[in-house]
Formats: sequence, C-alpha cells, structure tokens
Amino acid sequence: MQRSLSFEIFRYAAIFTFLALSLVPTIWMISMAFKPIAEWQASGADLTWWPANPTLDNFRFIFGESGSDLIVALERTAGRPILASLLAASFGTLIAMTAGTAAAYGLSRFGAGGNLPLALIQLRIFPPMAVMIPVMIMWAFLGLIDSWYGLALIYGIVTMPFSFWLMKTFFDDMPREIEDAALVEGCSRWRVFLRITLPIMRPALASSALFVFILNWSDYLIALLLTTRDWVTIPVYMASLSSSMTGQLYGAKAALGLIAAVPPVIMGIAIQKQLVRGLTFGALKE
Amino acid sequence: MTEIVMRNLGKDFGGFTALADMDLTIGSGEFVALLGPSGCGKSTTMNMIAGMLDPTHGEIRFDGRMMNGVPMAKRGVGFVFQNYAIFTHMTVRDNLAYGLRARGVAKPEIARRVGDIADLLQLTPLLDRKAARLSVNILQRLAIGRSAVVEPAIFLLDEPLSNVDAAFRAVMRSELKALQRQFRQTMVYVTHDQLEAMTMADRIAVMDHGKLLQVGTPLEVYNHPVDTFVARFIGAPGMNLLAGRVTSADTGLTVDLGAAGHCPIQAGQGGEVLFGFRPEEVHPDPKGPMEMTVTTVERIGARTILHLAAGSHAAKVVLDSETAVPDQGEAFRFSVSPGAVRLFDPQTERAL
Repeated sequence: MQRSLSFEIFRYAAIFTFLALSLVPTIWMISMAFKPIAEWQASGADLTWWPANPTLDNFRFIFGESGSDLIVALERTAGRPILASLLAASFGTLIAMTAGTAAAYGLSRFGAGGNLPLALIQLRIFPPMAVMIPVMIMWAFLGLIDSWYGLALIYGIVTMPFSFWLMKTFFDDMPREIEDAALVEGCSRWRVFLRITLPIMRPALASSALFVFILNWSDYLIALLLTTRDWVTIPVYMASLSSSMTGQLYGAKAALGLIAAVPPVIMGIAIQKQLVRGLTFGALKE
Repeated sequence: MTEIVMRNLGKDFGGFTALADMDLTIGSGEFVALLGPSGCGKSTTMNMIAGMLDPTHGEIRFDGRMMNGVPMAKRGVGFVFQNYAIFTHMTVRDNLAYGLRARGVAKPEIARRVGDIADLLQLTPLLDRKAARLSVNILQRLAIGRSAVVEPAIFLLDEPLSNVDAAFRAVMRSELKALQRQFRQTMVYVTHDQLEAMTMADRIAVMDHGKLLQVGTPLEVYNHPVDTFVARFIGAPGMNLLAGRVTSADTGLTVDLGAAGHCPIQAGQGGEVLFGFRPEEVHPDPKGPMEMTVTTVERIGARTILHLAAGSHAAKVVLDSETAVPDQGEAFRFSVSPGAVRLFDPQTERAL
C-alpha cells in the first residue's frame, strides 16, 4: 500500500504522543527516585530530566538508614508495608483464584448456580465506597481490622468476580472433547479436573492470577479503611510520606513507587511465555 | 469384541429430534460406518454408544448387557475425536500411556504396549516430544494410538480423517483397516465421506435427518439404494436421476425421458418414475437411444467427467480417459444397459 508522506508524519506523531503519555510518568518516577533532595525539590528551570548526582539516598531514607540529607525522621519504615502488601495481595489472589476457578468450572461445565453468577458480577456495579463502610464495621466486629489476613480476605472477596469471569470464558473455550477423552479412558471427574483440565489451563490461570494480583496490589481505598498502623500497605504508606517541614517527600515516594512496580513486573516476565503462547489446546476448532 | 445392539434408540434436544427410532445391530468384530451429511444424527448415535449422551428413549446393549445409564468411564470403549482432543501438556509417550495408567496397568506392561503401538503407528521417534507442537497428521495418529493402546472391545471413531490432507487420508484409510483386522475390535466409524465408508466398512449405515435409511455392505448400498437420497449420496458423483415415464411398446418396456431420449428397462409399471443410473454405467454409443448436450468436460487424470443437459434434465457421466470425448456444446449419444437402471417413485422417492 502506498502511503502519503503526510500520513506517515501523522502516524509517527500519533505513536510518539501515545508513547510520551504512557512512558513519561514512569521515566519521571525512575529519574526522581535517584535524585538527591536538592534536585527533586527543584522547580521551574532548575528541573532536570536526569539526576545530575545520582544517589540511593531516597531508598536508604524509606528504610530508615541514616546518611540522607533529609533531616526528618520517619515514624515507620517501608519494610513492614511492603510485607503487608505482599501478604495481603498474594493471599487475596489465592482466595479469589481458588473460589473463582471452582465456580467458573461448575458453571461452565454443569450450569451450576443458575442465575447466581450474574448476580456475582453485578456486585461490581456498586461503587466500592458504598460497600466498604459496612465491611469496615463487620471487620471491626470480627477483629480483622489492621491484619494482613483480614485484608487478604476482603481482597479475595472483592476480586473473585474478576477471576470467575475470566476463568469462565477460558473454560467455555476449552474443547469438551479433551475431558471426554480422559473420561472415556476411565478417569474420574475429579482426576480429570486435576490432571487434565488444570494443567491445560495453566496459561489461563497464570494470566488471570496476574490480573487479579495487580488489582489487589494497587488497592488504596480498602487498605486505607481497614488498616490503621501495623499492616498498612504500600499505597497507604506512600500517601503518608510527607512532613510538615518539607511537604511531600517526592523522592521517597518515587523510590517506593519503583519498588512497588517490581513484583508485578517480575510476575509478568515469569509468565510471559504462557501469555504469549495463549491457549491453543492442541485441538482443532471446528 | 463385543456386539452392539441399538433398539428403538432416539435422542431429542428440546424440540429437535436428533435421532429417531434407530434399530441397528453391529456384530462382534464388525466395522460399521455411520454415513450421512452433517446433522444427520450419526455423531449423536456415536455419543450415545460412548455414553456421552443419554438416550431420550430406546436402549443400547453391549453383548446383551444393558448400557443405558452406565457412565462412559465404565463402558470400556475407545473414542477418537474429530478434533483429536490430545492432552497437549503431556508428551506423546504420556498421552499413549494415559488410558493404561488410568486402568492401573503395571509399569513394565505399559512401557511394552506403548512401545508396540508407537512402532505400529510410526510414532517411536516422537515419543518424548510435547504433544503441543505436532502436525495435524501426527496428532491424528496419536489420537488413534491413545485409544487403540488399551485394546478396547469397541472402537469408536468420529470423523477422524476430516482434518488431515488428502494424501494422508488415503494412507490412513488402509492403515485403519489393517489396524482393525489385527485387533478385531468392533469398530464404529462416523463419516460424511462416502469414499471412506465404501473403502473401509464391512457395512454402511446411511443416515439423514435423524433417520437410519439403509444398512448394507458397500456394494449393496451402491447397487441397490433404497431411496433417492442414498442413491445421490453414495458414489462420486452420485447416481443420476431423471424424471421420466414408463411406457410399454411391442419391443418391451422403455422409459421415455423426453428431451434426453428413452431407455429400455427390464421391469416396471406404467407411470411417472425417477430414472436412475450410475455415471460409471454409461456406454458411449453413436446409435444409442439417449442423447444429451455436453455442458462441461472435467478431466481428472484417469477419468473424465462429462456434465450433460437436455431440456430440464441434468446428468453426469464418467468415462475412462481412453474413450474419445466430445467437446463442450456437442451432443453425446449413449446407452444404459437395462440391468443398470434403478427406478424410484417420484412422490415417495423410494426405490421401485
């Protein structure tokens, strides 16, 4: 196809704009994380794209080490919130994936649950705020406030509809003949599910779990309401990184943001092969 | 080796009747092809034999044992699926061993039998490959091997060759037949390809719209179709059917075909008929009583297919390539020997 020069210019301009919009904030965060205080506090013409004197001070600071130019002392360091986020998001994902996959399989194969599954997704039309105040009262009553397991439980409940609907579409797309082939050889339903269906579904499970994990990992509202001190998560902790003397601690926030980006990126890379391969099922679609 | 008896077997899906009142006995060690166009009920029948579907009415017996309600895991049938349904997360070896492991066969025995079936189907060099990356032809062999390795008494194949290429299909036709001769299983083979049914099956069951139309050896259904559907469906191309009228003259009975001429027949009653003859059973004859115009000439190597028309009649004729062939637009005179003519009732479409 012959394309005109003006079209090509437009095309590259559009690509560049899109890239800039999506990449600049990330690049800015990375740059800021390595800037000393004088550089990230600068404004106007003094701002630079890259740190002139790169330093790890921001990282040292949020983990409570001295040697930073900052004279403020942190009440709490970042270690504990990182642990809280990892525990709550991981176990929340585990709960959501276990319940969601089982429910999706039941509905997809046996029509289990009738209209209930539809109700399940309708839960999502409520703004989370509307649901969270009662949940907060319930959690307080149950003694689950400010615990990683209390947070994991509510994460599992809130993200289960996502894992359910994702897995249901994957199960619907899987040819039934693969299971029939194992059943006809004399396998029990349960064994077929564990030995045939789940292994074949590994790419689907991996991509759904990553999606659910990122939802849980980036939650701010729920953690804000359900944690107070010991088990605040990274987003809640990050919002508290300011002081009356210096205002917002942007360098520290950028450093923490960079750390927070690591787990999802590692997971993404780890399952990339599965994501790229997609679901072929080795069977032919008619 | 098991005899399958289906009596009054039927299956409805909601208001749709997929199979109506099927009566068929498949003998022990027999190779029966269920043949028909898509939607004719042949796969439904097969799935009920396997136990994947429960019949709406009627019964299925294996060697006299009632099978209704018996789950498929307990029926001891082998099933080869149209889309192969290979376990892609396993190696070829694990796929082949799957049925034996599920049955709790001892390890050395599994190794021996997997080795044997792999040799037979030429899968030995691929045993440790992941099944996800195999070609369609290999997947197809693997699917057959996975079912055959447990030596099921009943072997069910659902259009196993419809996705493979034509050359490989010809190879597999003879290999499947050889496999069945070796193991002597009762084999039920679903296909819409009449050539597969004709070349492999001991008997063919022709089906259409949920009904069993005719059961017989390949030559029986070829030579004596019970109705016009079977006549058209069997053979490539199928039987020609021209509207005509039986008249009697002093020389004997003939069918008057209007613009296409006439043809003597051996027996029949006066009145409207559908005059049927196989494209292969035409004799070019400059003095023949039938004449039609050539509309298309298809040369396919050893054979030539002439498309003919006369008035509202259309017909196809197959000639060997030695025969002189008229050009497009020319007249073609021929005769059909009275013994090769089949007559059908134009109303009921049944054979007369």
